[in-house]
Amino acid sequence: MPRAESNQSSDLLQGTLDLLVLQTLALEPMHGWGVAQRIQQHSGEVLQVGQGSLYPALHRLEYKGWIKADWQSSENNRRAKFYSLTAAGRRRLATELKEWDRLSSAIALVLKAGEAKV
Amino acid sequence: MLRLLDRFRAAWRNSRSGLDDELRFHMQQSIEQKIASGMSPAEARRSALIEFGGIEAARETTYRLRPGWLLECFADDLRYALRGFRRAPGFAITTIAILTLGIGATTAVFSVVDPILFRPLPYSHGDRLVSLGISQSLERQEFALGGFFFDWQAAQRPFVSLTYDRAYDRNPNECGLTEATPIQLHCDPVPQSFLPTLGVNPILGRNFLPEEDLPRGPHVAILSYALWNSRFHRDPNILQRTIDLDETPTRIVGVLPANFEMPRLQPFDLLVPAQLDPAAQHTVNSGIGVPMWLTARLRPGVSIEQARAEMQPLFLHTQQWIPAPIRSDFHLVVRPLRDRQMQDSYRAAWILLVAVLFVLLIAGANAASLFSARGAARQRELAVRAALGASRRRILMQSLTEALLLVLAAALAGCALAFALLRIFLYIAPTSIPFLAQARIDLRVATVAILTALLCASFFAVVSTLEPPRLAALTAHKSAGSSRLRIRHILVVAQIAVSLVLASGAVLLVKSFRNLEAQKLGMTTHGVISVQVDLNWYRYRTSQAYRDFYLRAEAALRSLPGITNVALTDSLPPDDNSWHQGTRYDAMHVMGQPPSRQTSQDAVIVRNVTPDYFLILQIPIIAGNNFTDTESNANARHFILNALLAKRLFPNGNAVGQRIQFVTDNPKAAPEPDPTIDIIDGVAADVKNAGLSGQESPEYYNLRGRGDTGSPDNGSSWNGHFLFVLSSQVPASSIAAAIETRIAAIDPMTPVTIQPLDEMVYRLADRPRFEASLLSFFALMGIIMAIVGLYGLTAYLTTQRTQEIGIRMALGAGRVRILRLITWQGARLILLGVGIGTCASLSLTHMLRSLLFEVAPRDPETLIAVTLLLVCVAFLAMVIPVRAAILVEPVTALRCE
Repeated sequence: MPRAESNQSSDLLQGTLDLLVLQTLALEPMHGWGVAQRIQQHSGEVLQVGQGSLYPALHRLEYKGWIKADWQSSENNRRAKFYSLTAAGRRRLATELKEWDRLSSAIALVLKAGEAKV
Repeated sequence: MLRLLDRFRAAWRNSRSGLDDELRFHMQQSIEQKIASGMSPAEARRSALIEFGGIEAARETTYRLRPGWLLECFADDLRYALRGFRRAPGFAITTIAILTLGIGATTAVFSVVDPILFRPLPYSHGDRLVSLGISQSLERQEFALGGFFFDWQAAQRPFVSLTYDRAYDRNPNECGLTEATPIQLHCDPVPQSFLPTLGVNPILGRNFLPEEDLPRGPHVAILSYALWNSRFHRDPNILQRTIDLDETPTRIVGVLPANFEMPRLQPFDLLVPAQLDPAAQHTVNSGIGVPMWLTARLRPGVSIEQARAEMQPLFLHTQQWIPAPIRSDFHLVVRPLRDRQMQDSYRAAWILLVAVLFVLLIAGANAASLFSARGAARQRELAVRAALGASRRRILMQSLTEALLLVLAAALAGCALAFALLRIFLYIAPTSIPFLAQARIDLRVATVAILTALLCASFFAVVSTLEPPRLAALTAHKSAGSSRLRIRHILVVAQIAVSLVLASGAVLLVKSFRNLEAQKLGMTTHGVISVQVDLNWYRYRTSQAYRDFYLRAEAALRSLPGITNVALTDSLPPDDNSWHQGTRYDAMHVMGQPPSRQTSQDAVIVRNVTPDYFLILQIPIIAGNNFTDTESNANARHFILNALLAKRLFPNGNAVGQRIQFVTDNPKAAPEPDPTIDIIDGVAADVKNAGLSGQESPEYYNLRGRGDTGSPDNGSSWNGHFLFVLSSQVPASSIAAAIETRIAAIDPMTPVTIQPLDEMVYRLADRPRFEASLLSFFALMGIIMAIVGLYGLTAYLTTQRTQEIGIRMALGAGRVRILRLITWQGARLILLGVGIGTCASLSLTHMLRSLLFEVAPRDPETLIAVTLLLVCVAFLAMVIPVRAAILVEPVTALRCE
């Protein structure tokens, strides 16, 4: 059976996913399921985060020290791992947001120039 | 420590199960949400699972992000590899053993040959330095004479500079430091241009000034570092000091670097200015000038061949000046200084290097075929692992870990082996190979050898896993691709061929060595002790003083209990004597016979002995009489010829009583007004006198009379060094102290060297013994490895064909038939390897020619014996595993796997 290298196929989105996760966690501490749901809701059901990339992303952010995790009881009284933003994560979020603004406005400019020509 | 490890492990496991919990929670949330939206529980569960995708994959991906993941993998691989080795110890042990031998032997041998072949000379740009001069049959080491040196120096073009150091006549350039505690030193006279040509600067002070190198110049000297260190305790103010050298106040002007050495490696403690007068060189030493050794620095871009060609006209001019009969005997020599230093050690070193490279080749081929065989055997395993989801990278890492483990083990063992081998080499090495005693295990070499092994192992590990795992490998029992099999066939053929070459070389050397040991010396060595004393010449200024010492010492030794006889001689066979003691065959004329027409430049050895010499060494006098002590007088010299010389001078016999006249080569020398009369007393049997491997040379013995004529020309001067030969009834070790005491009673300053003659002869065979034993060792290793390789291959192939054998036997094939079938395959490889090896050794063993004694380099006997032996052992190595295979019951064979 050929192996799906999920890591590689999501390379392009990886940075974006990190940003989304950080932004979501900036609101309140949340477990993985909650993060996925929140992103889906806030994007108007456009962005569906697959579990195959969500948990690697969460763990990666945790190893980098941007988010921290602890086990708490969930709304329905189950033990769940809640992630929250650390101070370093907050700083990271700020730079990522700035970076994203720069990138999206740059892309917008390019697209606008193309529009004018057409 | 252990508890900490346990806690660590627990945390690890915890985090693993933590991830599982987290994923399970996610799944439950998903299911609950779906149920809440109206799905049935079963459907909700199914849909959630589909949505989630591969749980295992998500878990793995997350896992891989852990900081310690790689390390964990490595630990797993390590454990896996060790388990594999334990299960198939044959592979691991063989591989480690082979790599150990390869690494150990290469490192040890390279450490030995490195100082000989590649040692940088301690001069600036030492590779541009050449040794040049003329050589002839009496002196094969190039030399020069003051009579033509200055012409050469003035007219030469290929060199930046040309310099010399004074060659010593018979004894080293001795001088005495005649201060409070006098010591004997080596003072080498050199010109002002000497140090600049070598590119050496004194670490303290300066080189000689031009005016210090003029005749009757001031007495100055430059110290060696060792002398400065030992005698003057590195006194920084040494330059202000004046020392007494041979009772002459001498000013010290410089100190040389610690690593400085004379170009011909002769001992030295001090350099003193040569202060030669070019004009006087045409008159001193019978008009030919003082002997010297030349060293020159090539101009940039000039090759040695060009230099030789450019020096040719100068040489031809010099040749005119040599007497016509012997002119053609002289040759111009220009060669790298390194060659001059190393002489024939060079060839031995290269042969050693080639031999060890062969061994390395065999080891490499063997390791390669082992890894390749293992890779093939593991095709199924790899395919299973790949099917279970192991990535290519993971499998590769695993193979590399295995290779790394094996090479590391081999590297450790190899270094230990190298140390042991080097100790053995140094123990059996002859002292005549320069710098060998300084050989150390070279860490660079060890590193290179280990890296090479690692590279080799990794390469084959990678190659064996790179082949995409085929589905077929999962089900089939088939062997791997035929291309890999062919490679292994080639490797086996190469191993057999190379080990045949090694083995025939080794057998040739062993045979030559045995010839050398077995030959008759023509004299007895048992119970003979040589005692050498080095008299400080400044304490013995006259021939009379020398004579007194030697005669008193002889009498003292004679009275020792256990000593039955004592004789004096200036040298002992079978060692080769220096040319200064020789004369030329055509310089000897029989009185009353017309001078012989044919010219011969053969050297004739001259030995000055007392009559008892023949008794002690038991050399029979085959015609005439031995010398008698009363014969010596000033007007007649008494000779005993050896049989060889007698036969040449007097083909019809009756040499006894004839007279010989010596004609001098040098026309410039004044004709002798009253030629001494030389009487032949007798003829002695031949003795090995030109080294163990040399042809016997013509030789005559000169009576060492007890009288003193004081004239150095007629050979009866006592100046110089003599040896005592003692006939002893007790071993040398037990009488040495008594001998030393007796000599010390006469002159306490004199160093005494006591050596049994059998030991001296034994030492002479050191070099061939060294060469023969080393090459035998390598050949043995090569053969063992080649056999192991062949055995491994056959065993492997047979295992692969176990089922086939079972089918054949079930169908009724006889065991012999199967045996023949499989054996034939191996036999082809063996025959091919032996064929190639025979051709290779026929063309390669001539390299050994100069090392062989009474054995032809293409000795058919040797080649046939080695080939037969190799074929037999190889067949045995092949038949054993095949035999084991066909003895298996057909049913078992069919069920196998």
